[in-house]
Amino acid sequence: MAAHRIMIVDDELDFGTTLAERLELRGFAAKAVGGAEEAMAALAADWRPDVVLLDLMMPGVDGLATLDLIKQRDPGIQVIILTGHGSTESGIIGMQRGLFDYLMKPVDIGELVARINEAGDR
Amino acid sequence: MSKRLFRAANYPLFCGLSDRDLCPKARYRCMRNSLLIVMLAITLIPLAITSGLNFIQYQQLLRDDSQANARWNAESARATITAYLEKLEAAITVVIDTHSFEDLSDNKRLEHIFRQLKKEHQGLVDLSVVGPDGIQSAYVGPYSLAGKDYSDSLWFHKALARRMYVSEVFTGFRNVPHFVVAASKKDPYSEQYWVLRASIDTETLDRFLALADTEALEDIFLLSDSGILQSGSRYHGGALKNFQLARKPKQNDILIFEEVIGDSNFYRAVSRIPNTPWLLVLDQQGAEARKIWRIFKERLLLTLIICFLASGGVVIWLSRFLAGRFREADETRDAILSETEHSNKLASIGRLAAGVAHEINNPLAIIGEKAGLMQDLVGLDQDFRHRDKFLDQLVSLQNAVVRARTITHRLLGFARRMETSLTLVQLNEIIQEVLSFLEKDAVYRNIHIFLQLQADLPVIRADHGQLQQVFLNVINNAIDAIRSDGEIHITSRRENQKTVMVAISDTGPGIAPEILKNIFEPFFTTKGNEEKKGTGLGLSITYGLVQKMGGRIEVSSEVGGGTTFIITFPVYHEGSEGEINGRA
Repeated sequence: MAAHRIMIVDDELDFGTTLAERLELRGFAAKAVGGAEEAMAALAADWRPDVVLLDLMMPGVDGLATLDLIKQRDPGIQVIILTGHGSTESGIIGMQRGLFDYLMKPVDIGELVARINEAGDR
Repeated sequence: MSKRLFRAANYPLFCGLSDRDLCPKARYRCMRNSLLIVMLAITLIPLAITSGLNFIQYQQLLRDDSQANARWNAESARATITAYLEKLEAAITVVIDTHSFEDLSDNKRLEHIFRQLKKEHQGLVDLSVVGPDGIQSAYVGPYSLAGKDYSDSLWFHKALARRMYVSEVFTGFRNVPHFVVAASKKDPYSEQYWVLRASIDTETLDRFLALADTEALEDIFLLSDSGILQSGSRYHGGALKNFQLARKPKQNDILIFEEVIGDSNFYRAVSRIPNTPWLLVLDQQGAEARKIWRIFKERLLLTLIICFLASGGVVIWLSRFLAGRFREADETRDAILSETEHSNKLASIGRLAAGVAHEINNPLAIIGEKAGLMQDLVGLDQDFRHRDKFLDQLVSLQNAVVRARTITHRLLGFARRMETSLTLVQLNEIIQEVLSFLEKDAVYRNIHIFLQLQADLPVIRADHGQLQQVFLNVINNAIDAIRSDGEIHITSRRENQKTVMVAISDTGPGIAPEILKNIFEPFFTTKGNEEKKGTGLGLSITYGLVQKMGGRIEVSSEVGGGTTFIITFPVYHEGSEGEINGRA
């Protein structure tokens, strides 16, 4: 089974790149981008991820809007919200819009990997 | 209104009522006393004024009545005596007009006339004829007065001077108090005046005066102008005693004036008896001495005492009751203000905490990931000299991140708990929403969730978000308790007309009784459970949220037999509560 491709969309690039590096060490192909525009650009450039780790509060296009954009472009991509600004309500809204899971920062890497695998295998 | 009340409180009567420095007990005592004084004044002053006016009015009425009685009695007595005298005078006039001096000087004839007169005129003692020289020429009566010489008697000369004369009382030759009614006539032959005289004893006057006696009559007597009693007096002695009047009437009027002797007062009516030298004196009881006045005073006093006691009792009770109600109202208001203040403070802290927690989560995540990367890299490098030491340090760093994360998550949970928006919600929908959020975790742990939700479950009025948190927490607890491989049964149904309930049972290890009894206590925790992941919602918060929404949460558990949480909420009935979406 090929390793899943992960895209991390987070305005905190320091977080995104570090997490991407950690995921790569675990065999994933990971790419960190700073916002919705970069994410959509990467998708347009044919870098299709299996799973997107998406921040919720971002300048410009926020997480839920980005989720809609991704789902519109490719409903097959699984999205996991990974945010420090979480609330039960936004989690439930995301779930209703096709979100795979909803995790609060900081997250345990083991749990994150389990969720990514689960999502990528869907 | 309260401002107006406190302005009124500046008056001396309300001293201390608005004084916030006074202890509450003293302030309410002051309020109670002020109410007591005001209400007593409002009720008792008009009562006292009315009673006083009644007292004065009735006293005046009785005085007028006593004076009128005195006048009436005096008129009546005067009329009686006048009638007696006029009748006697008329009879004597007839006798003297129809007889000559010689006729009447015949003792037999005079005796016959005397007997006739005595039948008609009680009190008549004797009848005599006195010649122009003052010598009594004929006499019929009980005394031996024949031949007596009256030429020096005042009455004889007055009788000669007038056609008819009624004398003052005197003793005369018989030495017994009496008065005479004498008529004179001119003899046609001698051209001299002779006199026909009738004597009447004073007891006759006493008998006539006694007719006027009533309960309210103090005394009644006749008095001469010169101050000699003409009849017996109850208080001033028998006839011929001296007695001086303070005031006398000038004409035939009846003079009434008030006399005070010692502690008692009375009304004195004085009137002249026409064609006599007499004054009729009548003393009538004063108003204050009358029985009816005493009875009135006793009844008025009794009524006043009863009214004072009844009003006093009611006013004391009412002032205590009102002060108590004021106190209760103030305490309730203070409690609400305090609670609101506390809630506002908590909400502010909550918002601040949420902001801080959000902002901290991101750098915390960076620290966590950086430390994690370092762990990964050092872990891969078997040849690194300080590998074990670095790994130990990084584990500590990660643990610190986990601790900080637990704190920020708790703060977020606390903040979420602060905001309440009540709407009509369907419990089944909430359960489905929460499960959509949790079922991944359940599947991951091989936990099967079975639902038995009543289709037509009535709506309840609650906060959507808080209700989600309640179920999220309870179901999360169930998942945590099972850890892996188990079942969760969620049942919803209408319990009765008033309540709906949701039961959440798990097949976990159950809870020991000593833990179970403290499970809803704040800060109670089972720290030995290292697997437990903080959602920020302890069971004490869940308990508080359920109670806040008017519900009830109960737990039953058996070690080895799983745990069941039963959450009950009141059914929403239209019109049963206030506005929807109100902020609590």
